Amino acid sequence: MRKMLVVAVREYQAAVRTKAFIVSLVAMPILMGGGIIAQVLLKDKVDLTDRKIAVVDHTGVLYDAVAAAAKKRDAERIFEATASGEKKQVQPRFVVEEVDTAGRNEDQLGFDLSEQVRKGGLFAFAIIPVNALEPPNKETEPSGAVKTVIDYHTNTPTYFDLPRWLDSVVNGEVRRVRLEKAGVNPQVVATASTPVPLETWGLVKKDASGKITKAQETNRAASFVAPAGLMMLMLMVVMVGASPLVQIVLEEKMQRIAEVLLGSIPPFQLMMGKLLGTVGVSLTISTVYLVGGFAAVSYAGFAPYFPTHLLWWFMVYQALAVLMYGSVFISVGAAVSDLKESQSLLTPVMVLIMAPVFVWGNVMQAPTATFAVVCSLFPPATPMLMLLRQAIPPGVPAWQPALGIVLVLLTTTLFVFAAGRVFRVGILMQGKGAKFGEMLRWAIRG
Amino acid sequence: MNVIELHNITKTFGKHVAVDDLSLAVPRGSIYGFIGPNGSGKTTTLRMIMRIYFPDRGAIRVLGEESHGAAHDRIGYLPEERGLYKKMKVREILRFYAELKGRRDFYQAADAWLERLSLTEWANKKVETLSKGMAQKVQFISAVIADPELVILDEPFSGLDPVNMEVLRECVLDLRKKGSTVIFSTHDMAVAERMCDFIFMIYQGRKVLDGTLDSIQNQYGQDTIRVRLAERDGDLTVLPGVEKITDFGTLQELRITPETDTQDVLESLMRLGRVTHFELARPSLQDIFIRIAGPEAEKAAALSRKLEAAHA
Repeated sequence: MRKMLVVAVREYQAAVRTKAFIVSLVAMPILMGGGIIAQVLLKDKVDLTDRKIAVVDHTGVLYDAVAAAAKKRDAERIFEATASGEKKQVQPRFVVEEVDTAGRNEDQLGFDLSEQVRKGGLFAFAIIPVNALEPPNKETEPSGAVKTVIDYHTNTPTYFDLPRWLDSVVNGEVRRVRLEKAGVNPQVVATASTPVPLETWGLVKKDASGKITKAQETNRAASFVAPAGLMMLMLMVVMVGASPLVQIVLEEKMQRIAEVLLGSIPPFQLMMGKLLGTVGVSLTISTVYLVGGFAAVSYAGFAPYFPTHLLWWFMVYQALAVLMYGSVFISVGAAVSDLKESQSLLTPVMVLIMAPVFVWGNVMQAPTATFAVVCSLFPPATPMLMLLRQAIPPGVPAWQPALGIVLVLLTTTLFVFAAGRVFRVGILMQGKGAKFGEMLRWAIRG
Repeated sequence: MNVIELHNITKTFGKHVAVDDLSLAVPRGSIYGFIGPNGSGKTTTLRMIMRIYFPDRGAIRVLGEESHGAAHDRIGYLPEERGLYKKMKVREILRFYAELKGRRDFYQAADAWLERLSLTEWANKKVETLSKGMAQKVQFISAVIADPELVILDEPFSGLDPVNMEVLRECVLDLRKKGSTVIFSTHDMAVAERMCDFIFMIYQGRKVLDGTLDSIQNQYGQDTIRVRLAERDGDLTVLPGVEKITDFGTLQELRITPETDTQDVLESLMRLGRVTHFELARPSLQDIFIRIAGPEAEKAAALSRKLEAAHA
């Protein structure tokens, strides 16, 4: 036990006292939140060049509405007030112009306008068909026949704001004209269409005195973010904390440190020392992130939504996950002779670790369904999926996490035991690395 | 009392028999030299003594215990394949190994060893900054820092310059003076001759020599003549009763058959040139080693295997 702890302390110090550890601790959330930060920072970096669009209006009545809408947009929606009270343009102008067909046929017209787009004179052009105002008639437009559509042509199909705006403006006007033709007041339709909002609440409870308390409103973001966040944090910590074991063990093997160590400590204790050190490293990482996460959530005023009641579970699950996966990583490191060889052995392990991510959507949708219960009791997935289910209100029956922990403990013991055998044989082997079958044989025969 | 007792141990790897029915007793306070060609089973034997490997058959007692733990706090081990954590400082490494052996009060011992091996100023430097020789000395200290009763050194002198080799040799002799038993393997026969109380040779997994240098040499008798000839005129192969000639340049070593009269040899030599040196000697350890494991022995073994196969 003493020797195991000596090894664990060394492993822990070797991992935590490096600059790389501090850097990765800081870099990981930056990488994960990088998208959001970049978006915030780059919000102002919008191309404000006017988007000029030519409109061919075969109905002869819709263009005016489009031109009016563009004018209104330019006046109201493309500016934002800055802190100093000035108006600042944040979106490009949409400049519309009507096209005179001048007796050209459709093909010639399309080609001429396309040429203008190619030369940069126009950003896009749109053709509104002549029957745009007529309601669709299934008899005159059987399936397979040409549908009534607005053709939008551009050389920049990845810019969505302009077609989206045009779609909404033209269709708004089409709807208005059609309603008027049918003798219905569009204002009445708009009022009648106002939706009634739906709010999600928890269940009504009785307090200690028997008084019925009002149900709490469920914060949809919080009830989604807390479970998903905990699961992702665990996945990340297992990856960052445990997967370096492959390289650590491989280096000790190749640099012949292993035999020196084996002169002082039995192989099983050496491996357990490494695993315990790694558990320490992973708990350090998660503690840093959980404390940081709590501080950030409290600052934003969401402290009540922070899953404080699950933190002990998180730590226990995480320690077991690191032991379980760490023992596999150690066996791989001991069995191979270079990093390249380890890749093929690691692929199935990675799939196993990532498995909860593949099913977590289904589990969140129906956390009490048999599928979710079975998945969360599959030991390699238990730490992440059971925690996920526990974090979704109202949680799970107590027997499920208890059974989950027992199964994970049994699996971890089995993995560690097998890894101990593979480690003992593999660590002193030089030359060609072992295949999966060989590792299995070492694990079974000892 | 014996520090190590091996009783008929056998170890195989697949079909290869690495150690074959080996028995050995190492008395306390001695320096025991393990010799043998590469791949003969030295390192496997040492690893079994360290319980890094377990024998397929036979029993091992180390320091009176048939313990099943893979290591022993009273044993210091310097393996043939050496390695240290490159990112650790020298003193940290020594502390790590001392703690692994259960020693907490290692500072004094570490300082003394570092000073003795001229490494004091490197104590707080990382291992990656050390030269190969220095790293080897650090490795040696880590094997002996916990004052072990038994020290096992696999090729401790390989790769060292003569100065460092001398320093390390004295350290090993001092360990014995302080009461430790030392086992070391070496390819340097001169070192084995000078330092070891007992010599054990293993060849193809089997014990072929075991005893003091004297007793081993006595097995072969005075069958060696070392000569120096000035103005030599003729070939030494014409000499009567000479089995083998080893030419060291200015000195020749002749192995004679038991019935040969050395006076006849001297007489013949005088006819060939001016004899400046004529010495009757027992064979050196180097010579014995080569007789057992050299190309001649290989050929003889191959021939006997062939004959056996033919008879079968």
